[in-house]
Amino acid sequence: MRDGDIDDILKKAAEAQPDPDPALLDRIAASIQPNTRPVRPLPPPWVLACGLGLIGAATALIVAALLGFHGIHAMNDIQAVIFVGVAGLAGRAAMAWTAEMIPGSRRQEGPAALLALSCALLVALFAILFRDDLAEHFVSQGMACLKAGLMTAAPVGVAGWWLLRRGFAVNPASAALAAGTLAGLAGVAMLELHCPNFQTWHVLIWHTAVVPVSASVAVLAVRLARRLSPARG
Amino acid sequence: MHPGGELETLMVRYQQGDFAAATALVRRLSPQLHRFFAVQFVSRTSADDLLQETWLRLHEVRHTYRPGEPVLPWLYAIARHIRVDHYRKSGRTSAREQSLDETPEMPAPRAAPAATLTMEEMLAPLPESQREVVELLKISGMSLEEVARATSSSVGSVKQKAFRAYEKLRERLGQMGGAS
Repeated sequence: MRDGDIDDILKKAAEAQPDPDPALLDRIAASIQPNTRPVRPLPPPWVLACGLGLIGAATALIVAALLGFHGIHAMNDIQAVIFVGVAGLAGRAAMAWTAEMIPGSRRQEGPAALLALSCALLVALFAILFRDDLAEHFVSQGMACLKAGLMTAAPVGVAGWWLLRRGFAVNPASAALAAGTLAGLAGVAMLELHCPNFQTWHVLIWHTAVVPVSASVAVLAVRLARRLSPARG
Repeated sequence: MHPGGELETLMVRYQQGDFAAATALVRRLSPQLHRFFAVQFVSRTSADDLLQETWLRLHEVRHTYRPGEPVLPWLYAIARHIRVDHYRKSGRTSAREQSLDETPEMPAPRAAPAATLTMEEMLAPLPESQREVVELLKISGMSLEEVARATSSSVGSVKQKAFRAYEKLRERLGQMGGAS
């Protein structure tokens, strides 16, 4: 049996399906009539993605300015390549988050793949660019960096939701994953500007950890919000 | 004007507050949306409810449609969301309910010529994701790119699901042809 034969059988079966009751369609039309007023469409996705990028960059710069630009002052030119990597990933995360908030958007990659790509690329860049095998005060300094990174990520997430508040996430968990990834990358950018600890294991583990932890927190927050408001769906 | 272009024009007019355009969209798109819900083994009443709920949600978020973009991926992305939500809620409800000695409403395979099969019977052997792709591609007439957008997946993944679905359908219809 050829594909065309299957297509024909499917089409016949579809034509045999009963159409919805015309009275139901009248009821639907009547239910939306009272609220059919003009609405302003969302801005183009690139505008929203640029807005998200600006929020991330501005937040990272402001927090680093408050804590001190010790990291970037201690960095050599080659190590500064880390900013190119973080900016590239943040751009993709901003586009992914925007796509998640506009139903039927074209997607480059799913938020889960983007999170995995972000972690893998950060680990690779840190391992190549930061070559100091000491691991002093590994946990205490690491926890301080993780906390500072997450404190930077939180306002990025909140401001981003505000910017995209008119959007509609058909998959809220995916949207949260993209949001958490972008916010986490802003946290990493802040840490690279601020943290002068260039020990390989420190940056590899604790700086990278900001991204998956931020993404996980965002997903949990959305799940919790949905559980608390079941009527919204 | 091609059908997609006409839908886009109606959608833009709907966003501008034109009730006639909204009514035209409801009449034009409801049959295929209803079929989309019906092939997922929901009862006719449930399909009616889902259709109504989908239009209310579409109306609520009509500003998220971007003029110039295809209408169907936007529409089906929201319809899928409503359907998934329906499953989630009915799953929650059924978890709280005690089971009865009653069989669920599933189309049982019957020995009939392929041409007389209903849509539900045709697609019964397919997993949900493949059923959805076949429905969107072949019945709703969307392109691979449009189905990928509607289902938040890649074109490659849609192609693969369609290929596997057709392999299963070919096998099933072949068996039926042999039996009849």
